[in-house]
Amino acid sequence: MGVLLSLSTISRHSSGLPLAAVLLLAALLAGCGPKTVNVQGQFPKPLMDPLPLKIGIWYPEDFRTHEFYDEAKSRSESDWVVETGPAQVKMWDTVLAGMFRELVHMPARPGPKQMSPVVNAVLIPHVDELQYAIPKQTNVKVYEIWMRYRFELVTTGGDPIAEWKMPAYGKTPTAFLQSDQEAVNLAAVMALRDAGANFITSFPQLPAVRDFLESRNQTVGARYADDRQFVGARYAGDRAQSALLQGRADRSESVGARYAGDRAQSALLQGAGGGKS
Amino acid sequence: MKRWLLALLALALLPGCVTSKVDEMVYNAPEQGIGDSTVVILGRRQASDYETEPDFIQCLGDYISDRDPSIQVLNELNFVNALYPWFEPRTAPLYPQDIDRLLQQHVVAQRMRELKTRYMIWIDGSTVRSDSGGSMTCAIGPGGGGCFGFGTWSDDATYEATIWDFTGKAEVGRVNTTATGQSYMPAVVVPIPIIAPVKGTACDGLGEQLLQFLSSKY
Repeated sequence: MGVLLSLSTISRHSSGLPLAAVLLLAALLAGCGPKTVNVQGQFPKPLMDPLPLKIGIWYPEDFRTHEFYDEAKSRSESDWVVETGPAQVKMWDTVLAGMFRELVHMPARPGPKQMSPVVNAVLIPHVDELQYAIPKQTNVKVYEIWMRYRFELVTTGGDPIAEWKMPAYGKTPTAFLQSDQEAVNLAAVMALRDAGANFITSFPQLPAVRDFLESRNQTVGARYADDRQFVGARYAGDRAQSALLQGRADRSESVGARYAGDRAQSALLQGAGGGKS
Repeated sequence: MKRWLLALLALALLPGCVTSKVDEMVYNAPEQGIGDSTVVILGRRQASDYETEPDFIQCLGDYISDRDPSIQVLNELNFVNALYPWFEPRTAPLYPQDIDRLLQQHVVAQRMRELKTRYMIWIDGSTVRSDSGGSMTCAIGPGGGGCFGFGTWSDDATYEATIWDFTGKAEVGRVNTTATGQSYMPAVVVPIPIIAPVKGTACDGLGEQLLQFLSSKY
């Protein structure tokens, strides 16, 4: 035990100086590294009536791991790395889950030979561009983040339904004892919230999306009419059968009513096959 | 030595001078107070070159609820989160007439009923620094360190509060405040900041007027 203790003491003494030097060097070099912001925030669920769509979401790899790198232009500036990927996924999951009747995460990008879950459409988001500004650059007492998204709305077979671009902007004022990183994080969270708000209000207004929603409503309306017809015919058939059993009607009425029910059911199945996307 | 330290401390605690002005325009104040209804104070964030500071909104809320605890002031962030995305800078109503459009969505109307919000107070403005001057040099050596010099700057605060009656869907009051103050920082070995509480004075001025509007006790 005594030998072990003395060995550890010796080894600590011998490594103490280099360790201190390494720590000092690390502290000195810390100022030379890039300023990294791993965007983190809480995103509320939207308060709205969900759209009657079962929507699929596919986050491409570059979206899930999205980061923005800005190289310093001069010695007095720092490199900046703004990692938004995980926060993007968190925000869009929350917004889309509240915006649509059902949200399904797709295992892969939809394509012609891809086995995909049955959904009405698949949304694929991209971050095309991200810019930031800090008070040192603009002489304005706000930190800003600006993003440009590109969205694809496709069928489960990969056919395009709509494609559009959407800006998002967030800013936060300077505050006492707030570091640049904290302020940029806050501005990024504001930009993500703005992206959600912009998407919620603009999505149903897009002409291609509106056409898609209208065509779906017509299909759903037609299906609903078929359902009503089918149920009505079934009901007539049941009534006739009941009457037959009671001996108050002949069998032909029951067969006729049953036939009407079968026709309606057949029409319904055809309609369901034609409306499937 | 003790005297010197006390003198320095006393000097550091001296506030700078602030000039403040409040203009009020009230159309229809509640005579019996607001009862069990709630109030929310929100910052306008639409301008590109400034932003109403969240700490100023917090200061106003604290000022009102500290002096009249019967007035329930909702936290700004909680309110905005509860009604996301309808009070974001992009979507927030700009005029009282927009409230009707907002309440057409029955889930929003339901949430507003749950929150019992009767008055919505919009604050627009900011505190900016101007006219800074002077110079200060600081040095550190083996024997110690210190600063020498003199710095001065001016802060200007301009805020406007617009009061909406959410149930009446109308603007019922407007209060403006401006405050200007000069801060100084002399440094003889140790810098001694003599800060003018410009934002705090603007908060007190505006808070007092809002309190008079909302409270039956004032």
